[in-house]
Amino acid sequence: MLQVYLPVAEISVNLLVMLGLGAAIGFLSGMFGVGGGFLLTPLLIFSGIPPAIAVATGANQIVASSVSGALAQWRRGNIDFRMGLVLSIGGVAGAFAGVLLVGLLNRLGHADVFISLVYVIFLGVIGSLMLVESLRAMWRRHAGKPAMTRKPREHTWIHGLPFKMRFQRSRLYISALPPLIIGVIVGLLASVLGAGGGFIIVPAMIYLLRMPTHIVIGTSLFQIIFVTAVTTVLYATMERSLDVVLAILLMIGGVIGGQFGANAGQKLKGEQLRLLLAIIVLAVAARLLIGLLVPPSDLYSLAPVVMGP
Amino acid sequence: MMRQALAFLFATLVLSPGLCAAEERQRPEQVQSDISMREISIQSNFTGVKIVLFGSIDFSKAPSPDEAPYDVIMVVRGPEIPLVVRRKERIAGLWMNGESKTFSEVPAFYAVLASRPFRAIASEETLKPLGIGFTNLDFSKTTDAGDGFRASLIRLQQQRRLFQESDDAIGFIGRSLFRGSVDLPVNVPIGRYITQVYLFRHGKLLSQSQSSLQVHKVGFERVVYMLAYRHPLTYGLLAVLMAMSAGLLAWTYFRRE
Repeated sequence: MLQVYLPVAEISVNLLVMLGLGAAIGFLSGMFGVGGGFLLTPLLIFSGIPPAIAVATGANQIVASSVSGALAQWRRGNIDFRMGLVLSIGGVAGAFAGVLLVGLLNRLGHADVFISLVYVIFLGVIGSLMLVESLRAMWRRHAGKPAMTRKPREHTWIHGLPFKMRFQRSRLYISALPPLIIGVIVGLLASVLGAGGGFIIVPAMIYLLRMPTHIVIGTSLFQIIFVTAVTTVLYATMERSLDVVLAILLMIGGVIGGQFGANAGQKLKGEQLRLLLAIIVLAVAARLLIGLLVPPSDLYSLAPVVMGP
Repeated sequence: MMRQALAFLFATLVLSPGLCAAEERQRPEQVQSDISMREISIQSNFTGVKIVLFGSIDFSKAPSPDEAPYDVIMVVRGPEIPLVVRRKERIAGLWMNGESKTFSEVPAFYAVLASRPFRAIASEETLKPLGIGFTNLDFSKTTDAGDGFRASLIRLQQQRRLFQESDDAIGFIGRSLFRGSVDLPVNVPIGRYITQVYLFRHGKLLSQSQSSLQVHKVGFERVVYMLAYRHPLTYGLLAVLMAMSAGLLAWTYFRRE
């Protein structure tokens, strides 16, 4: 029984459980090449960490994993800094709104349900899409049909917008508004979910902005650093809900797990990985949904009165 | 003059024990008490602590240890904090918090120990003004009781081991010594605690004694807590800096190039 006292959460947790949780998320993110924040926050909530703390601490942990990820991508020249900066400006604005929203709901006592509900919707949608896509890809491979190719570039309504900017690395000349708006939406969601938001921004960059795929991962990681860093500071100052002791435990576990995960990921095919991830994502969503639908064993709950900043 | 003074001194010295013994039988009982620890430090390995409250009855009139006519009640109280009790309701199929009530002055920790069931020791009229027993606590002046919120507050605090009532938790040793122990759980709130010891005989309060103890965080826990609450911006920036260095470290150590 290695109990560790979390000074801000004011609860005692098992050292091995938290290290293991960090390692499990690190393993998954190394294996699937995702940030893992969208699984970390629900798992922290399941293990009894108050949602407001889980979200803030999750954001802090993702700063670490996105820095090491972004550095690796930067060495390969896969970051469009200009695009990353535009996305970050929107992202920071969105994060600010998200933290304010969570703070307001926390004072009203609705933060738990709200965070769970947003998670159920997002994990449900993304998990289902991934499940369908991976099954279809497996079926295609089985039938011997060629894999889907990307659609050629075409002019869309996005190209008619003002404030055009040249994004050299992405080989794009588009308005700054779409990346800015995408940044705001992702920042808002990331701060509410305590995740990086890679699972939203990557598809948005590929399908809406039509950025080259090899630039997308690095640029999204670069943007995630800013959004999660700002989210962490905002939660620390406005909600006092950041627990660094918990964050340290998760980071240590994450670094270890990440190394094993990357090796394990290389042994599986892309669509197998996506199918596995889809199943995990849907299972977490189902577990959260059950928590919302099943009558609670105790109708009453107790909370400290949260003072404003 | 000198001789007179010496004689007086002699008389005082020789006669005083007898005089005091006679006086002792008449003087009212006084209770004295103290706590085994005046300070409790919360560190990362803190898993709760047991404190011992002990005391003695001066001028005890008990003829023998078995026939002590006294009852002792001890109350340990933490600092008062505001708490909100919420009740979940089913709204659009989802269970979410509905009605809530805020109690402005709830003791963050509250324990009653007694030498026998305390409601048998004294009447409700005696216990109420002393705030002995959960039902005699005044959580705030404004809240209207009657619904389940007050009862749930007590029940939930009991579940968290922050409210305790234990009868028969105080034992007498000899004619005038007594002791009782309280478990402070891992989630014990920080702040100044007051312990009160009440001495009763036949339902009448004879004497009371008060002491205090301080629960605080020390070492790394204290630094983190102080930073988080007093300098949150520095704390947030340091947390980000730490995460960035961890990421940098992981990258330099594990990169495969």
